[in-house]
Amino acid sequence: MIVKTLLAALVAGLIAGVFMTAAQELRVVPLILHAEEYEVKEPAAEPPAATEGQQQHSSLTHSSVIGEMLSALSPVTPAYAHEGEHEDEGGIMFGMSRFSGTLLANLVAGAGFGLLLAGASLVFNYPVTLRNGALWGACGWLAIHLLPAIGLPPELPGFPAADLHDRQIWWIATIVLSVAGLYLVVLRGEIIAKIIGLVLIAAPHAYGAPQPSDISSPVPAVLGAEFAVAALATTLAFWIVLGVISGYLNDRFLKSA
Amino acid sequence: MATTTVSSIPLSLNDRITTAILALLIGGFLVFGAGLANSAVLHDTAHDVRHSYGFPCH
Repeated sequence: MIVKTLLAALVAGLIAGVFMTAAQELRVVPLILHAEEYEVKEPAAEPPAATEGQQQHSSLTHSSVIGEMLSALSPVTPAYAHEGEHEDEGGIMFGMSRFSGTLLANLVAGAGFGLLLAGASLVFNYPVTLRNGALWGACGWLAIHLLPAIGLPPELPGFPAADLHDRQIWWIATIVLSVAGLYLVVLRGEIIAKIIGLVLIAAPHAYGAPQPSDISSPVPAVLGAEFAVAALATTLAFWIVLGVISGYLNDRFLKSA
Repeated sequence: MATTTVSSIPLSLNDRITTAILALLIGGFLVFGAGLANSAVLHDTAHDVRHSYGFPCH
């Protein structure tokens, strides 16, 4: 039974990951590629050296000869994510094309989010079903994407940003507080619980997200606005698909047992 | 149609806690690897995904 529950979450996540890849290729990835043209032109606007320094410790050097041959045959350009720092380039795992890398990462992230959704529903003892799957998904999106985006909107490559580590800490803390807050607001009846929930949701924003000291950027603002909306829209679609499929699989395979 | 009684994930309390912990640990590990891990290879592979999910990235 334990395995079945985990498998259902995993399968739902993988399916949602494939869906997410298609959605990203339509709208989000073209905007990232467009923004990278500006990022390359003006390497002065690269993020602070500290984060780059940490990235250079990869033990893997350039992809193998086979990998290079494969990527040469691929119609998709490899993700040299930051053209300015070629010699320290990590390169994509197994010499895959940029698209395969995105697909793989989406599958991994989708499976991860699927398991987190199942875990949350078990902790709160409130099963995900076909009927409430979309709502579960919407709450997941609120907690993991929209609420953190208030402080740290989705960024394009080349956007100015504060120290990576600070932002990651703030981001994780915001998600944990938002999940707890949403649980109190949505699933608990007591007025006092709802009030505490709202306080928890608001707390990280009152504290404030780490912001860059200099907000000038070589990437046009219009691209950034388009990207922020596209990123939030695709993740919302991803979460609703994930919730509905999770609910369907739970109804279909777990109830009968 | 019967009104759905949503009270039955057919797991005992112990199993429920075990499953929840397993799901959260594995899920957290996968999301961390795809979204946050500080390795150049992982970063470049997942680059577009990290940006599109709004993960804090470089």
